[in-house]
Amino acid sequence: MSSLRSIWLVARRELIERGRSRAFILGLILTQVFIVGGLLLQTTLAGGANVVRVGYVGQPPAALREIMDGIAEQGGATLDLRTYPDRPAAESALLSDEVDGAYVPGPDSSSPGQLLFREAPDARIQQMVTAAVQAVRLIDAGIVLTPPGVETLQPASGPDPTSLIIANVGVIFLFISIFSFGYWVLSGVVEEKQSRVVEVVLSTVKPRDLLMGKVLGIGILGLIQLVVLVVTGLVAANVLGRFSLPPTTTPALIQLVIWFILGYTLYSTMFAVLGALASRMEEASNATMPIQFLAMGSYFIALLVVINDPSGTVARIATLIPPAAPMVVPMRTALGAIEPWEVLLSIAVTVVFIYGLFALGARVYSGAVLQTTGRIKLRDAWRSSRQERRRP
Amino acid sequence: MLEILHLTKRYGSVVALNDATFVARPGRLVGFLGPNGAGKTTTMRCIFGLAVPDAGETRWNGQAIDQAARLRFGYMPEQRGLYPRMKVGEQLSYFAQHHGLSARTAKAAAQRWLDRMGLADRINSRLEELSHGNQQRVQLAVALVHDPELLVLDEPFSGLDPIGIRTMTEVLRERAAAGVGVLFSSHQLDLVESICEDVVIVARGSIVAAGPIDELKQSSGRRHLDVEVEGGDGVWMEGLDGAVVLEHRGGRVKLLVEDTVDLRRVLEGAARAGTIRRVSYEPPALSELFMEAVDPEPALPEEAR
Repeated sequence: MSSLRSIWLVARRELIERGRSRAFILGLILTQVFIVGGLLLQTTLAGGANVVRVGYVGQPPAALREIMDGIAEQGGATLDLRTYPDRPAAESALLSDEVDGAYVPGPDSSSPGQLLFREAPDARIQQMVTAAVQAVRLIDAGIVLTPPGVETLQPASGPDPTSLIIANVGVIFLFISIFSFGYWVLSGVVEEKQSRVVEVVLSTVKPRDLLMGKVLGIGILGLIQLVVLVVTGLVAANVLGRFSLPPTTTPALIQLVIWFILGYTLYSTMFAVLGALASRMEEASNATMPIQFLAMGSYFIALLVVINDPSGTVARIATLIPPAAPMVVPMRTALGAIEPWEVLLSIAVTVVFIYGLFALGARVYSGAVLQTTGRIKLRDAWRSSRQERRRP
Repeated sequence: MLEILHLTKRYGSVVALNDATFVARPGRLVGFLGPNGAGKTTTMRCIFGLAVPDAGETRWNGQAIDQAARLRFGYMPEQRGLYPRMKVGEQLSYFAQHHGLSARTAKAAAQRWLDRMGLADRINSRLEELSHGNQQRVQLAVALVHDPELLVLDEPFSGLDPIGIRTMTEVLRERAAAGVGVLFSSHQLDLVESICEDVVIVARGSIVAAGPIDELKQSSGRRHLDVEVEGGDGVWMEGLDGAVVLEHRGGRVKLLVEDTVDLRRVLEGAARAGTIRRVSYEPPALSELFMEAVDPEPALPEEAR
């Protein structure tokens, strides 16, 4: 039987058995609740302040819209300008909380027009509309006011808050996903050893194929969870409507998926090897300590260093270190602080690393997975698998 | 035919197998005997590529056993194990597919074997919900589900109740009758004697006896002579060359004699002592052959030495 069929049979078993397990379904539901809840919280706390909703009776001149946009942007907000055919329509929109203020222009550009509010005037809208209307009237009068040039002596670098949120949430989810599904691989390997079923399986399946199928099957589940999560997040963000996504969102999300695949494969291979070396779950958990340090270290580099200086030296170096890349690169991408060639190079380096790791890992795994008593030394597993390779 | 040729396997300084050679013919039940640690499990693991021998090889029908050949074998390891939380039917079908069956035939085969094992109503139960005995049946079904050409079972009878033993025996006989090779290890020597045609005895990694049970018994140099004489005091057998008295109770005497013994002379002696009520002259039981083969010091009663 071909290796591919064996691998797929193993992967499919993992998919079906674990896919309908309570742990997976519950995890799926919980993460949905978490992301939708998080978005809701985000919009109620900050979203209202970030979008300025203004109604306009008639068709606003292009210059007016442009100026208002500019003012809103300076204030760190976005303008949501809606047009209404007449004053009653604008008033009812105001009363039904569709907009926070509405402007009724005068019969010609020389008249000041009327700014309507529901309960009390909104200072920001008042300033914005007043400035814009005055500017347009000056332009119409042939006076072009050029605002003074702006220069900062010590520009504060820092991405906009939405990017930061996406970067943070993305990396946290990535970390959690990689670890929870990597841990499934670990426990799966140990369970197979502990229940001795591995001997039956390996009487027809090559150890390498078993390892690959297991990593693949559980990885597909992880990917399903991640994709469902991203889709829910995007849909929720759109439905809530008050959450404007920065242009770095799409590449960041695509990379989230890519880096989940790479990060998961990398860490779960390490987990599988450790699982094979142990004979009980407690033993395996203790043995994962070094990997946990490695992952936590990478995670904190991303969360504490890279986020503050996304194109600094540490960030650039970490980008090329495979265990750190899955957390550092998506963060830099979300912050818009990485060159495309850096991403490609990082992916290439990580893929090569995973290839080597898998080759070594599969060998140790074959040497260790059939020894069901006590903890096996790495060196012994390595040696015993040298013979394993001669297996016809 | 399964051929085990000059198999040698060391684990560090421990020699698990030392130039072990024997054959197992299809259509016959072959018992694989030996004390614990003699090398039975290692031999079976070598057949399935789970252990790689330092020297020697395993062949099936004249060809070195490879992964493709193993797909047509069924294996029941000493350490039983299946997926505890997987449904019984799906589990059988999963292993059948690993042996190359298509999804549909695998499902049908799973159903068929569960029927055969009397577990048809448990097809959707998780394995862990089954009793120990029923889990054993499922384990056997996993070894059989793909209609293998060769069955290798490591202590299939251990832990079975009498009904389980009967089912197991029936299945193994039926498979052998269908032309399948059946090699199984066991410590239940009387059971092996009653159901097997052939045995292989391994001790300390070496094969010490192999062949049809009847031939092994006949070729043994000893016989059990059991004579009951009424009215005699039993002194008739004194001075009998090479005879060992195993038991002497009243007129009944159990002797271990050389097979070259002159029976007529012995019986004439007995007849002079009294009236012969009963005589049996039998080759030793398999358990004795086993003890003799694996233990250089014969385990005879103290006074008989």
